[in-house]
Amino acid sequence: MSAWSRPPLLFPVSHTTTEANRTGAWRFARPVFRPKTAPCAAACPAGIDIARVEMFAARGRLHEAWQTIARENPLPAVCGRVCFHPCEAACNRAQLDAPIAINALERYLGDAALAAGTPLASFDAPDLGRKVAIAGAGPAGLAAACFLARLGVSVEIFEAAAEPGGVLRWGIPAYRLPKAVLAREIERILALGVGLHCNRAVDQAFLAEAAGRFDAVIIGVGFSAPVRLHIPGEDRVADGLDFLRRVQTGQTEAPRGEVAVIGGGNTAIDVARTLLRLGARPVIVYRRRRRDMPAFIHEIAAAEAEGVRIETLLAPVGVAADAGGVRLTLQPMRPDQPGGDGRVRAVPAGQAPTVRHFAAVFSGIGAEVGAFWHRPADEAETLRLSHCALRLGQHPIAYVGDPVTPANSVADAIGSGKQAALALHTLFTEGPRAVARALQDCRVGPGPAVSLEIYQGAERAGRASRTVAFADINTDYFPVAARRHPSALPPGRAAATFDETLEALAPGEALAEAGRCFNCGVCNDCDNCRIFCPDQTVQAVRDGRRIDLDYCKGCGVCTVECPRAVLEMEEESA
Amino acid sequence: MSQALNTDRGLTYPGNVGCPGCGANIAVNHALRALGEKTILVIPACCYAIVSGPYPQTALKVPILHSAFACSAVTASGVRAGLDMQGDTETTVVAWAGDGGTFDIGLQSLSGAAERGDDIIFVCYDNEAYMNTGVQRSSSTPYGSRTTTTPGQGWKKTRKKNIMEIMAAHRVAYAATANIAYPDDFMRKFARAREARGATRFIHVFASCPTGWGVASGHAIKIARLATRTSVFPLYEIENGTDYTLNAGGDLPVGDYLTVQGRFKHLAPEDLALVQAEVDRDMALIQEKVAATQVRRAFFKSA
Repeated sequence: MSAWSRPPLLFPVSHTTTEANRTGAWRFARPVFRPKTAPCAAACPAGIDIARVEMFAARGRLHEAWQTIARENPLPAVCGRVCFHPCEAACNRAQLDAPIAINALERYLGDAALAAGTPLASFDAPDLGRKVAIAGAGPAGLAAACFLARLGVSVEIFEAAAEPGGVLRWGIPAYRLPKAVLAREIERILALGVGLHCNRAVDQAFLAEAAGRFDAVIIGVGFSAPVRLHIPGEDRVADGLDFLRRVQTGQTEAPRGEVAVIGGGNTAIDVARTLLRLGARPVIVYRRRRRDMPAFIHEIAAAEAEGVRIETLLAPVGVAADAGGVRLTLQPMRPDQPGGDGRVRAVPAGQAPTVRHFAAVFSGIGAEVGAFWHRPADEAETLRLSHCALRLGQHPIAYVGDPVTPANSVADAIGSGKQAALALHTLFTEGPRAVARALQDCRVGPGPAVSLEIYQGAERAGRASRTVAFADINTDYFPVAARRHPSALPPGRAAATFDETLEALAPGEALAEAGRCFNCGVCNDCDNCRIFCPDQTVQAVRDGRRIDLDYCKGCGVCTVECPRAVLEMEEESA
Repeated sequence: MSQALNTDRGLTYPGNVGCPGCGANIAVNHALRALGEKTILVIPACCYAIVSGPYPQTALKVPILHSAFACSAVTASGVRAGLDMQGDTETTVVAWAGDGGTFDIGLQSLSGAAERGDDIIFVCYDNEAYMNTGVQRSSSTPYGSRTTTTPGQGWKKTRKKNIMEIMAAHRVAYAATANIAYPDDFMRKFARAREARGATRFIHVFASCPTGWGVASGHAIKIARLATRTSVFPLYEIENGTDYTLNAGGDLPVGDYLTVQGRFKHLAPEDLALVQAEVDRDMALIQEKVAATQVRRAFFKSA
């Protein structure tokens, strides 16, 4: 065949790849993998890594979810019941539909770990050869003990009462916190090697003696004296906190008939609901308006549903004996301008006081320090941190709990104990000058809470302290979904027993609720960045995502499609 | 030290010359994840002909045959015939054309292949204009769009051609719409098309073009997702030209999609209302066909 009849096939075939084109040179901004702080975590006084907890929980990895909580808070099943959950108030999801039920999920995980008998991680810290005495086995003292033990310090707790727990044991009624739950979470802390001595009240003589035996003392005895009303006949007013304590030790008697409970905080609610369960008809008498009551809204609602009456704008001005009870003189009040604390003040309304008969009057207005040495003195050598005070010097003393925390809550107490533990560890290992800086460096975002994980330099230490805002979230990935609520005992039945009023979330509900979480600032391996990168420059690596900057054109698709603001764009420097 | 878990680039090489945020690139990545390495692409003149590498480069690890603008479908048919001669039944032949090479210049070739029932997948990655040559309008350009050939007050006053109905009229075995913002749905459809061998399959891919549409490159996926969430580009499948299944639509107003793009910035509220009415009517038509399909299937099942 001639060449004319079969011409050569001229077919250009590529023989090299586009790898030679370093398209990264086009870029004027680069994506940066930068995990951030979730607002819930920054708001949590115990500094729990909530966004990561929910990430594990949503995947059904309950053990890791619980370990993530327990690293920062050794009392999850307790806090899952009694915490006032400021995390939920800070939750970004509130701006889409409703906040995540973080508190109910904490309880769910806490109960799961108790059921499984999971111990607290000890982190195998080397023994520092240091000893610390802790006065008071309340939440602050227990937390301090847990974190010191985890950091290799030997700890002994001295508790005045017959059993540990403090306010959790004696103040919070069983219908909110079953005592078996508390006992088992305390056992788990003691299992870290913490020594506990009950019926050992700490006094100043003990402190003097302890100075020789211990490298430091922590004082966490809380508030032990009731706040006084300063009205005539006050000796006829029963102390509500003492009443709650006696009910815990087996008292089942309460006055018959109508009983007044003075106050508007959680103590007043607890006293009233306890009286109700023992057969009295409690009436809460509060000097300001209903909306000014410091008690949790859900507690107020539960009390009313059970049958507690609430009367507001009434101030007690006198108590006198009466046949079969007491006569309580009540002054009608009216709201006035806010006072120095920003709260609306109540002033007499001008009407004449009324006198009412009650079977008894209880005070539920809280407590204060029982002795001057329970709180730090104003001394130059005292280092004041957000949740604890540390008296430096030859015999260091750390003050924790109610007398030194900005808010008197269980979570604040736990945060306080942890802060003191980390401060003492730094004091022992690096000396007094390093303490303030070390505690500053392990804060959770801009919040006051400190984190053990950050202190230990683990993964969380790599997060930026900036908190994620709702505007940073790509809500395309989050369809509106109803918040799951735990079911409650019907109020009629609840009022007749000390059984727990709130039930746990059902397993399926808990996982679905955790799945609603945005996981603000925490990579949950959704892989959007890698899947959507037009140039396949995103690579999944063990500690997050790596961008191949030789080829990344800086389009920003990965950053926009990151639902949780882990990736962000950063301008290239010229 | 970080340990690599997934540094896989799939079937692509880095360094393609697409614009930042190129939707066609995202489409190719999704498609090749579903199609696998036993794939041959036939690419007519279009953006991706260049993005995939000017001679002597290639950006893909699968073979590409570049064809003339008008004949990607028939070229794919030819490649298929060649493979059949060699006894290769495994390799999938895909024509990968832009909207110009599908709606306009390639339409007769596509129609021919579809009428013959050639064993190919024809993919139109639709960026709604001739982007590669500088944003000239095509018959896929939607109503209201400004392009370099429909500038200023001369913005396009006619609606986008409905390519899916054209393909349905050919009774192709499988036709589907897919959107780069819905990777699971996208890959499922490509896997299904790969498995449906022996007949013509058509996939209409919505591939955003930040450069030509006047949106930030980072919003390539966001804008594509909005197209479906406003029902401007609903996701659906047609079997044998008659049986319709709706996968995703949405109830956001079209303004959410249109007003964030430079090409539609000039539209007045009454123009938006016009587009909304048209989108609603198209969606109602699809829903009627879905309902008719269900009735027909129920009837044949009971018979």
